[in-house]
Amino acid sequence: MTSKAPPLQLDRIELTLPSAAGPVRILKGVDLAVEAGERVAVVGPSGSGKSSLIAIAAGLERPSAGTALLFGQDLAALDEDGRARLRRGRVSLVFQSFHLLPNMTAEENVAAPLEIAGDRGAGPTARAWLDRVGLAERRRHYPHQLSGGEQQRVALARALAAQPALLFADEPTGNLDAANAAVVVELMFDLVAEIGAALVMVTHDPALAARTDRQVTMGDGRIVAGEAAA
Amino acid sequence: MTPLSFRFALRELRGGVHGFRIFLACLALGVAAIAAASSTAEAFRRGLSSQAREILGGDLALSVEQRGFTPKEQAVFARAGRVVYSAGAHAMAQAPSGDRRLVEIRGVGAGYPLAGQVTLEGAPDLGHALAPSSDGVAGAAVEPALLDRLRLKLGDRFLIGNSSFIARAILAGEPDRIGRGFALGPRVLTSLAAVQATGLIDPGSLHAETARIALPASSQLGPAIKAIRDALPGDDLLVRDRSDAAPGARRLIDRLEYFLGFIGLASLLAGGLGVFGAVQAYLETRKTSIAVLKALGAEGPLVRNLYLIQIAVLAGLGVVIGLGVGAAAPLLLGLIAKTRLPIPALFAVYPLPLAKAALFGLLSAAAFSLEPLARARATPPASLLRQNLGGRVGFSLETVGAVLAGLGLAGLTLVTAPTVLMASLMIAGVAIALGLLWLLGWVAVWTASRVRGRTRGALRLGLANLAGPRSAARTATPAIGLGVALLSAVVLIQSSLLDQVRAVAPKTAPAVVFTEIPGDRTAAFDRAVGAVLGALRSDRYQRFVFVTGRITALKGRPVDRKMIREDQRWAYDNDLSLSTIGPEPASAGIVSGAWWPAAYAGPPEVAMEEKAASAGGLKVGDSLTLSVLGRDVTARIAVLRKVDWGGFGPDFALILDPAALAGAPLRSVAIARMSKPQEVALTRALGQDFPAVNVISVREQLEGAAALFDRLALAIRGAAGVAALAGLLVLAGSVAAGAGARAREAATLKVLGAARGQILLAYMVEYGAVGLIAGVAGVALGGAAAWPVVIKVFEARWVVDWSGVASLVAGAAFLTGGGGLLAALHALARRPAPVLRSD
Repeated sequence: MTSKAPPLQLDRIELTLPSAAGPVRILKGVDLAVEAGERVAVVGPSGSGKSSLIAIAAGLERPSAGTALLFGQDLAALDEDGRARLRRGRVSLVFQSFHLLPNMTAEENVAAPLEIAGDRGAGPTARAWLDRVGLAERRRHYPHQLSGGEQQRVALARALAAQPALLFADEPTGNLDAANAAVVVELMFDLVAEIGAALVMVTHDPALAARTDRQVTMGDGRIVAGEAAA
Repeated sequence: MTPLSFRFALRELRGGVHGFRIFLACLALGVAAIAAASSTAEAFRRGLSSQAREILGGDLALSVEQRGFTPKEQAVFARAGRVVYSAGAHAMAQAPSGDRRLVEIRGVGAGYPLAGQVTLEGAPDLGHALAPSSDGVAGAAVEPALLDRLRLKLGDRFLIGNSSFIARAILAGEPDRIGRGFALGPRVLTSLAAVQATGLIDPGSLHAETARIALPASSQLGPAIKAIRDALPGDDLLVRDRSDAAPGARRLIDRLEYFLGFIGLASLLAGGLGVFGAVQAYLETRKTSIAVLKALGAEGPLVRNLYLIQIAVLAGLGVVIGLGVGAAAPLLLGLIAKTRLPIPALFAVYPLPLAKAALFGLLSAAAFSLEPLARARATPPASLLRQNLGGRVGFSLETVGAVLAGLGLAGLTLVTAPTVLMASLMIAGVAIALGLLWLLGWVAVWTASRVRGRTRGALRLGLANLAGPRSAARTATPAIGLGVALLSAVVLIQSSLLDQVRAVAPKTAPAVVFTEIPGDRTAAFDRAVGAVLGALRSDRYQRFVFVTGRITALKGRPVDRKMIREDQRWAYDNDLSLSTIGPEPASAGIVSGAWWPAAYAGPPEVAMEEKAASAGGLKVGDSLTLSVLGRDVTARIAVLRKVDWGGFGPDFALILDPAALAGAPLRSVAIARMSKPQEVALTRALGQDFPAVNVISVREQLEGAAALFDRLALAIRGAAGVAALAGLLVLAGSVAAGAGARAREAATLKVLGAARGQILLAYMVEYGAVGLIAGVAGVALGGAAAWPVVIKVFEARWVVDWSGVASLVAGAAFLTGGGGLLAALHALARRPAPVLRSD
């Protein structure tokens, strides 16, 4: 791993998963590279393999074939704990379903990745980031006490508090109404720009995709349009 | 700073213990059962030991049978401390009406009791109760059963032998009663002089005399016993001391503790499935959180420790609740029943039994929690993006821990058991039963998944649920099955033993046993019996010479009791019944060797019961020395025989050839089969010519045993029911764990047009099947456990209590089906729209 390595480099990635009806090929040789600070939208119909691509790129899943390099580190060479360590402080995720920890308050949720990374100032940092997303007053609230839009803003604060170099967002506005979606999108693009992180975002929304530097279109497990690799 | 896993665990625990109620209940139930059993046993042990002097009647008790103490012995005892003599025998009491009844008469000397108090009703103290009347008739304190049977009241007179007594007080309690054991008839307490006057304790007659000694405060137990032994070398004294005043009661407490503790352990294991299910269900709800933590950079050990801490805290809470209940139960028993308990007890909170129960509880929690934890730790973070991803469990710290905890449970069971063999059999039995039931649960799931395609409607839905991932069959079947297995084993053993006492024994055993038949009047006795029974055929009447003796040496060496296993020592611990028989009897039961010739007159030969011989390492040809009627007889073992104890024949541990005891004043016993009216008539008739012959009604003893069995049956079944309760808790856990999914399923079915009745029926099919499978398999396993106990241990006839078995199967199916009904009603009670919206 070198400091000059691009945040993400995927070569001929394949993913085949077992199912009751036999193995299913989900990704069929995907190449994708993301440069530092670059913003990439992954678009395509449901079932085209967008979320699976994110899972492999973030090291949540092992590819069946091909090479996935995260900051120059081959993910295949790491076990699950090794991949978790690699993500710490560098890679964050935002999900369509928010996925906040239900028994932690908003502040604890934001602090959690910092605490896992051993940051002793996790509490003040979390409070500052909640302030940035406009939820300073809700820091002691639990997820079930927050609206969908508020939950996604907490998730965004949690993802960015560690100032990662790469943010994955899997349909971040998919569960939100238009007004909340707009707030979250503005925040996300502003904050990502501010910390200089690269962004890989899965979305069905053409307007949202249009705000990125580059669009990659997937279909049937392949990249069918857009610049596949830089 | 608190470690991260602790901080995260505390945050999780803030959410409450909602998902852990069944976990807590299962753990607390098992721990409470073990703690209560051990604490109660400890209370009885302490009670016995605190009253050891009273129970023994002094510091030392020295007994002889069929003879009195010699002046030399009396002098030695007097040097040791303050001595009180007593003598007891069985004898017939006769009312003026002619009614007769076997009693246990005991005469006590001045100064009795050396320790404790005699409890009397109708007289101010023992002195007044036993004092002779103005015309010289001895006073006696008698048990109420004698007054009832002979239709007497206090102040009436009755005869024992040819001596007259006045029933002056009701004997409510003697301090040394537990130490003296079981009585064949009501007890009569009188003065030693009065008993001596009856002739019942003349040398050679069947009686026992005891000297109880209160040692001076300066005197130690061990040296005192040694001094007596040294002064009376080779004496046949049976010596007991206050350190083990009631060995029978102590053994009973040990076995009771183990039996109840075993039920506690079984419920802990059955409840362990509830622990397993609860942890699994809880971690299932935490799957997303685990995946999120991993996505945020958490490693496996952090995830494991975070949930391990939670489980440990909750296990600790469950154990504390169990210990609280377990410690309180004996205290409550003490408050309610202290005065009615047959054994003295000191109820208190004892730390050691509680520590043992806590250790059992924690090991069980570890054994059943760690595997689901390993599975949760292995949850892949990709499950955030795709549902139904399970973690693969391989070799891990958690699985090693679970195996070690399981071995620890087995080890602790072995260490705390009275015998390793019994514990091993029980552990193996429970493990095999649980394994088979678990397998059966899986077979039920597999079968349901194969069969459902051929069914329709509610049945299909029920079978689909049975085959589904949340099927109750996997956890509830083994748990309920184990409870039913324990209950049915108890029911089947009890029904076989009760049948033995009520049906088999009255047919095979004699109805009446006669003892103390004078050796010179046997022919006259036979005639007296024949006058009532008619012709005396050997299948209705048999008479044998009877004497008691003790084995003093084996193969020329004094008996070393320590070399003989405690559970086989009976033949060497007590005086044995023995007889002399010339020609080989019809039911001799010879296993090896050959009976002596009918007119044999050579060196003494003996026929010995095979198990007693094996315990002493004896075989045919070895020599055996007996102390009989004050003399030593060394005999060659000619025969080893199997004795049909309680059957209609010579059930003696030892039978000598007649020449061995030639010239000795021998009495006889006789056994007879007869109807109840014949028994009454003969008992009255013998009062005229044979007042000293004791008539023991075996029928009455069997009726008493059957009544005792009935009283115990409910208590024992109640105790075994604790394990069944654990099974029901597991069922409740399974119902609760699936409640959310069931509500969604019911809502979807309603949307699709299913009627409430169809949904109810589907749930009844699923849970009823689980109950039926668990019930039938539990009864089969219980039967498999009970059969060898009935046939091999009790040597009784195998009798199945079909109504009991049917009610167990029906009960299991009904209760489990009821659980399904509750699950269905809960699911149906929720309106579809909110349920589906929240999905």
